[in-house]
Amino acid sequence: MLTHDETADLVRRAQRGQADAFTGLVRGFLRPAYAIALTVVGRAADAEDLAQEAFLKAFQSLDTCREPEHFAAWLFQIVRNRARNFLDSRRLRDVAPQGARILEFITPASESAGMREALLAALAALDVDQREVVLLHDLENWTHAEIGEALGISEVYSRQHLFQARQLLRARLDGDGEPTKLAAVDQGPQRSSASRMKGSEGKHGRHG
Amino acid sequence: MEDMDDERMAERIDFSTLDPSNNQLRWARTIDGVVAQALAERRKRLSIEAQLLRWARPVLAVAAGLCLVAWTASLVTTSRSAQTTSQQPAWQTLATWAANNQIPEPGDLVGTLRGN
Repeated sequence: MLTHDETADLVRRAQRGQADAFTGLVRGFLRPAYAIALTVVGRAADAEDLAQEAFLKAFQSLDTCREPEHFAAWLFQIVRNRARNFLDSRRLRDVAPQGARILEFITPASESAGMREALLAALAALDVDQREVVLLHDLENWTHAEIGEALGISEVYSRQHLFQARQLLRARLDGDGEPTKLAAVDQGPQRSSASRMKGSEGKHGRHG
Repeated sequence: MEDMDDERMAERIDFSTLDPSNNQLRWARTIDGVVAQALAERRKRLSIEAQLLRWARPVLAVAAGLCLVAWTASLVTTSRSAQTTSQQPAWQTLATWAANNQIPEPGDLVGTLRGN
């Protein structure tokens, strides 16, 4: 991850319109932005699109970023807002039947679709804070200090969230939790897995 | 504490299947795409601002000229209407003097009769 000074320098130079600074910011923060979007929408493809849109939005209003060294926190707020708006519009558009929302955490088929589905399903069982912490830590390799600052929580909370998130995920992925079974099934039985995961929907719904 | 985290690397959850940068070529293209779009939008915005700035001066000059003309015209109209209201017909002035037993100065009399 970029240091405070590096981030602030990039933001200031981007505010002046320097192209390499834009590249530096995107390189440094597009993947974390994707991780944050993923914690809200639960679909990798949607999360990628949202991260890109959020970045464009952030660049449009870069002059309003008053604390360039805290660019990550500012960007993540934009990502969350867009992701929540996206979820709301998707719910309205889909007019999905009850329980269908849980399919948000099921991704399209791919080579590693089984594992991806299992991970996304297991993530759906966590609350948003836990998802953000575990993804930023284990996917992005951020330290607790960096996570705490970007998410506006203390390092202690970050550690707690990570510990709890890992325990829950491992329990599910190791087979203690039902969603692990998702890994073994193909796209067909999504409906039954969705109904099995209803218990986790509440958590997602409250925080999302 | 971070050392402890390093020791616990084995405890990490493997999210690599969710990592969009696994396909490096695609990810690099995505980054380039975002940067290109951001720069294009910035250029577009700047060009609109530049156009506005370019036209701002002449527009302001024309507006100022129009204001000056309008102000001058209003001054002229006001003074004319003031003059019109202050002028009475000669007979009315003479009648007023007569009613008040007032003897006008010769100059006033001549002026009144001239219609000034």
